[in-house]
Amino acid sequence: MGLADALDRLRRPFEGPNTLGNGRAFWVGFLVVLVGLVGYPIGFGSYAASSAALYLLYAILALSLTVIWGYTGILSFGQVAFFGVAGYSFALLSMNLESALTTMLALPVAVGIAALAALVLGYFMFYGEVRDVYVTILTLVVALVLNTFMAQTAGSEWTVGSVALGGFNGIPAIPSLTFGVGETAITLDGAAFYWFTLAALVASYLGLRALVNGRFGYAMVATREDEDRTEMLGYDVRRVKLLVFVLGGALAGLSGVLYATWGNYISPSVFGITFASIPVVWVAVGGRRSLLGAVVATVVIEWFRQQLSATGSQYALIVVGVVLLASILFVPEGVVPRLDAAIRGARDRFGASNDAPEGTPE
Amino acid sequence: MSGKRSGLSRRSFLATGGAIGGAALAGCLTGGGSGEETVKLGIIEDRSGNFALNGTPKYNASMLAIEELNEEGGILGNEIETFAPDPQSDNQRYQQLTRQAINEENVDALWAGYSSATRETIRPIIDQNEQLYFYTTQYEGGVCDSYTFCMGATARQQLGSVLPYMVENFGTDIYTIAADYNFGQLSADWVRVLADENDANVIGEEFIPLSVTDFGSTINNIQDADPDFVMALLVGANHTSFWNQRTSAGLDVPMGTSTVMAQGYQHKRLDPPAMANVYGGFNYMEEIPTDRNQEFVSRYYEKFPDAAYINEEAVNNYFSIKMYARAAEAVGSTNQADIIEELEKGMDVSAPEGDISLQGPVHHMTHNMRVFRCDEDHTITVEDEQQISEQFLSETVGCNLRENEETTQYVPADYYEEADATQE
Amino acid sequence: MNALNLLFQFADNFAFVVLAAVGLAVIFGMMGVINLGHGEFIMIGAYGTTLSANAGAPLPVAMAIGVLVTAVMGLILERTIIHRLYDRLFDSMVATWALGLILTQGMRILFGNSIPQVSTPLGNIAYGEFSYSTYRVLLLPVALLVLGGLYVLFTRTEFGIRARATIQDPDTARALGVDTDRMYTATFVIGSALAGLTGALYAPTLTVVPGMGSSFLVEAFVAVVVGGPSVLLGTTLSGGLLGTIDAVFTNLFGTFYGQIAMLLTAIVVIRVLSDGLTGLVETVRNRVEGE
Repeated sequence: MGLADALDRLRRPFEGPNTLGNGRAFWVGFLVVLVGLVGYPIGFGSYAASSAALYLLYAILALSLTVIWGYTGILSFGQVAFFGVAGYSFALLSMNLESALTTMLALPVAVGIAALAALVLGYFMFYGEVRDVYVTILTLVVALVLNTFMAQTAGSEWTVGSVALGGFNGIPAIPSLTFGVGETAITLDGAAFYWFTLAALVASYLGLRALVNGRFGYAMVATREDEDRTEMLGYDVRRVKLLVFVLGGALAGLSGVLYATWGNYISPSVFGITFASIPVVWVAVGGRRSLLGAVVATVVIEWFRQQLSATGSQYALIVVGVVLLASILFVPEGVVPRLDAAIRGARDRFGASNDAPEGTPE
Repeated sequence: MSGKRSGLSRRSFLATGGAIGGAALAGCLTGGGSGEETVKLGIIEDRSGNFALNGTPKYNASMLAIEELNEEGGILGNEIETFAPDPQSDNQRYQQLTRQAINEENVDALWAGYSSATRETIRPIIDQNEQLYFYTTQYEGGVCDSYTFCMGATARQQLGSVLPYMVENFGTDIYTIAADYNFGQLSADWVRVLADENDANVIGEEFIPLSVTDFGSTINNIQDADPDFVMALLVGANHTSFWNQRTSAGLDVPMGTSTVMAQGYQHKRLDPPAMANVYGGFNYMEEIPTDRNQEFVSRYYEKFPDAAYINEEAVNNYFSIKMYARAAEAVGSTNQADIIEELEKGMDVSAPEGDISLQGPVHHMTHNMRVFRCDEDHTITVEDEQQISEQFLSETVGCNLRENEETTQYVPADYYEEADATQE
Repeated sequence: MNALNLLFQFADNFAFVVLAAVGLAVIFGMMGVINLGHGEFIMIGAYGTTLSANAGAPLPVAMAIGVLVTAVMGLILERTIIHRLYDRLFDSMVATWALGLILTQGMRILFGNSIPQVSTPLGNIAYGEFSYSTYRVLLLPVALLVLGGLYVLFTRTEFGIRARATIQDPDTARALGVDTDRMYTATFVIGSALAGLTGALYAPTLTVVPGMGSSFLVEAFVAVVVGGPSVLLGTTLSGGLLGTIDAVFTNLFGTFYGQIAMLLTAIVVIRVLSDGLTGLVETVRNRVEGE
């Protein structure tokens, strides 16, 4: 009784009408999956863990788009811009000041730079009355500008400190994340990197759940549904949009730093149109108003693409395209919300009562 | 067979501790498949995406070499297996697949990648895992790496065959147009070094972003400079548009190159006379008229009747797989460290281009370099032929991988005043 | 700097921006759909042209075939896929992105990594030590013709009036007896045909490969952003502005600076004139139409 109550109290801040998966059953399932994910490297080894870490860090990028697009109604096509800016910043900082301490500090600084970039761009757009689909195209253009610019920095004049930007080839040999100083320093590699990424993802996920189910979350959803009415209710819509955009930029930046340290490498292709489109695909397929959907879709789609590529089949890209088309056409609300609805439907049919108010994600 | 020096990297071992390390090791051993009976080669070449045009012949030629080896009994009496995914011209995919090849597939040797960017992306993974790796594209040169064998001709070899020929036949004023990325910049540096060595001058230089398809202003700039010949170091599908545009604009100054035709077979794809009067310095084009090459060409098209062309890189994959097999036979195992040691002794190789040799201490090839000319009808003729060895690492830098372990890429700007563009 | 060089380069760049953008702009401006497969539609037009020319068709006929093929493809895709997504604009982006992926790889599987290319017709214009491809210069009048044709189509014909009514207020248009479904289909087909025309026109002067579509995307999107919702005037203005900037900066500082200057201009224009240019363009168009 006491324990159950305590658990109920614990989950309360993370629940509400703006998220899927409320109620005890969900959290039990969540914990089971989490334990499985934590145990994954022990069962499958550090190579498998480091492959999986890539999907997990991408999921953070997907979350950054979900909160901006799904919850606030702004489709940013340029999340990869912040992802890449943070990745490049981390590379330049950690390689110029190479010591364990600075590598550790470079992470928050790089994320800060990404957030700052989002602040500048967001201010520029939302206070300049750039709206709707123009935000989408403008953010895409920003990513493409960065792509064009970074791709031509091959010459020896393009160095920051001691680090060459490298142009199209990008920056290789970026150090892995290191925590601690001197002898006690731990380099995050293999399984350790996986756990760190998993922790970052879970923290981002839970943090966003708390956010969207809180007061600010309601302001975000209200902005998405009707800007004018929200304004009349006394909210500063532009500020709401800007804050969400900065938060999204920071999350994308975190993902970008993890990416740069995952492969010890970053190149201008992270700003390219192909990579820019991918987060939109993850989020659209997973269900753009579902945080969980974004995470699940990202992991599944990326795993699937990797498996297809490993087969060496020339039909791999066709299969990817067809699967995406089919999911957009036949599961418009997103795969995860559809599954959620199906599960709830089944439960209702068997007469099980819900122990918490259910979310209405649409 | 599990012939690697270590199945997992030391760094990850330290980071994750013994228990996890043990699990990883177990994963490695079970991932290896049937154990002692096979030799597994990783062939990671693009068959879709931007570089598919260059990657597909590399894949084909690799399969041909492996098929021929298997017909002769494989390596050490074992049939050769392959791990041959399609990285789709995506460098991040390359990283994933390289890790998979090393850690999960336990390949005994790896051939991977077309562009320098790809090579530099995966080389840290290669070095960390001490994986024997063959990079076969003609490239800017300077990679001195204990685990990497660069089978393609370097910029100094390619340009060193064609540039002196151009100076001798057309004059001393050179205009360079080069792709604006690492490879193009370094190649342009080599043009300056070689121009200096051949008493010629680079009177103009233009770097063109890889995304550019419109060459109107470039063509005007060349006309303005009025050089004796142009060195065109253009790369990729977008830059291929240059040839139609310069022909259409009537720019008929002779052009030398180290990048087009032998890689992207522009003379087969474009309508004549787009490539008229283009001179290339390459170690291979499928038009080489020797009997040995023509036999090779007919074997290739017998296996791949619909194939488009055999490019330089494809032949480098072909002979280096055969070379690897000979080294494995010589040491009697697929132990990678032993094979590297064997290869570092040097080896004479009978390749489709002619008899060439491996320069063991620098992991590069002495190539049989030819100057090829493309005429009005896009017929290819051989104008000049000479053996050119890798010189930059072996003579200028003094790299010796037999003695020292290294994973560096050296650049000409650190050794030649002329190559340092920032000095001007 | 030679004045004729600059003029020809401007003509070249203007035509490229306008032709790259016009198909995208029609579909986006009239329907609000962002076609991320736009580059691949252009590629299909170029393949249709090149393959027909290789099969022996004279170049103009081959180009017509290229346009037709793309238009038919647009019709089929609209009827099967796009029309289901009109009330879900963002989903239509994902869908068209997926279509682009399928088209690129599909062409690679069908026709290989490259097909024999057509050479550029019409020779060159020589002046002093310089010369310029006649064909590339002639693309300028072609681009203007396309814009003029669209202007007439959308402002002077029954179809155009119905189409614009559909865009401004679909419900009222339907109530007045306009078959809005057909208007959307027709607009999408026109946009596809324009993309096909771009592919057809550039087939003899660019490299026709499965991935060629991506080389149009930057210019296309930038032009649409700068141009604003008013399709024709917007595209014309942005073609003029971006073409000039590209030509001048390329001429002065090199190709890279041309590209960067163009992209930065786009960002500045959006910020400074986001409402202004849109409003300006609208006013101008209304005035033109009001006469």
